[in-house]
Amino acid sequence: MILTGSAIGQAVDRGEICLDPFDRMLLNPNSYNYRLGSILRTDMRAILDPLEEPELAEQRIPEGGITLDPKRLYLGTTLERIGSTEYVPTLIGRSSLGRLGLFLQVSADLGQLGAIHQWTLELVAVQPIHIYAGMVIGQVSFWHAYGDRLKYEGYYGTRSDAAPCEPAAVANRFRKPRGRR
Amino acid sequence: MILTGPEIAKQVDAGRIYIDPFNPKQLSPNSYDFQLGDDIAWYEAGVLDCRRENKAIISRIPDEGLVLDPGRIYLGCTLEQIGSDWYVPIIRARSSIARLGLFIHVTADLIDIGSRSQFTLQLHAVQPVRIYRRLLIGQVTFWTPQGEIILYKGKYQGAIGPRPSLIHLDRRIDAPVLPVPIRNKQE
Repeated sequence: MILTGSAIGQAVDRGEICLDPFDRMLLNPNSYNYRLGSILRTDMRAILDPLEEPELAEQRIPEGGITLDPKRLYLGTTLERIGSTEYVPTLIGRSSLGRLGLFLQVSADLGQLGAIHQWTLELVAVQPIHIYAGMVIGQVSFWHAYGDRLKYEGYYGTRSDAAPCEPAAVANRFRKPRGRR
Repeated sequence: MILTGPEIAKQVDAGRIYIDPFNPKQLSPNSYDFQLGDDIAWYEAGVLDCRRENKAIISRIPDEGLVLDPGRIYLGCTLEQIGSDWYVPIIRARSSIARLGLFIHVTADLIDIGSRSQFTLQLHAVQPVRIYRRLLIGQVTFWTPQGEIILYKGKYQGAIGPRPSLIHLDRRIDAPVLPVPIRNKQE
């Protein structure tokens, strides 16, 4: 089951959902609107490789906003700390941004129980688009979970910066052949 | 919980789900297939801006179809008017459409409970692809909510035809531009 906006507000009051800072104005009928943090990172390598360290360029979004280039992936963050040990979050964009062709994540909408942090956003623009720090940019929903709970022991859920792909998180089973560097 | 196809049909009969026109042949085991409406829209400007109105051109999709350019975002709509005051709709492409690399929404699959309209579809083609009116392009699922229901009264309610973004009306809820401290748990 998906929580209604009023149920999200009550769960925040009970301390079962973290949305920090929280503003009731940002509740929707079945989600909560999050805002965009002020830092963007891009990986400067010509070919991205999950088994090698990224080469990150970081920029602070100026007051006048910034234009995103369609041929790039930008990592940003939510302004809010978001998460819950009780309800499973799914995080997406908003239709107002979708209508302008801005993806807020790349087919990875599911959060884990117990990961409470500023989420990393994966921004991809279909056309050049001017965006602003602090703007209401996406929404997060919460779902009733069934079953015993595992303690969260993941990696990204402990980070609140625009966290790039961590080689150690994907390299367990697949080793990069030697001499390919 | 997600409603099965037969349950969607029952709830349409009971008036708790609104799909118009409704054709039982478009039911799947756990979703309902919707068609692409007649009109398509795109923005006049090449560079879009979240703080001003982005003017759009709206046009009828020709009989011979329309080839979508991967460098643009297009807005279509569902032929059907869809909504529910009881269940939460979530939309997706049909896999036949996804196999052509055509997105039908841009990270905005969730529809507010209480909204009733021809849903605006956000069409983005990975490669050039031709679309046609009345194409069975996507599917809508219905999910049970938990908690008190407060119905949608937002700016896109009742939309007929593709509706361009109204994000420039949102500035009152944007946060002030402040350096936001990043607090990693491990630091």
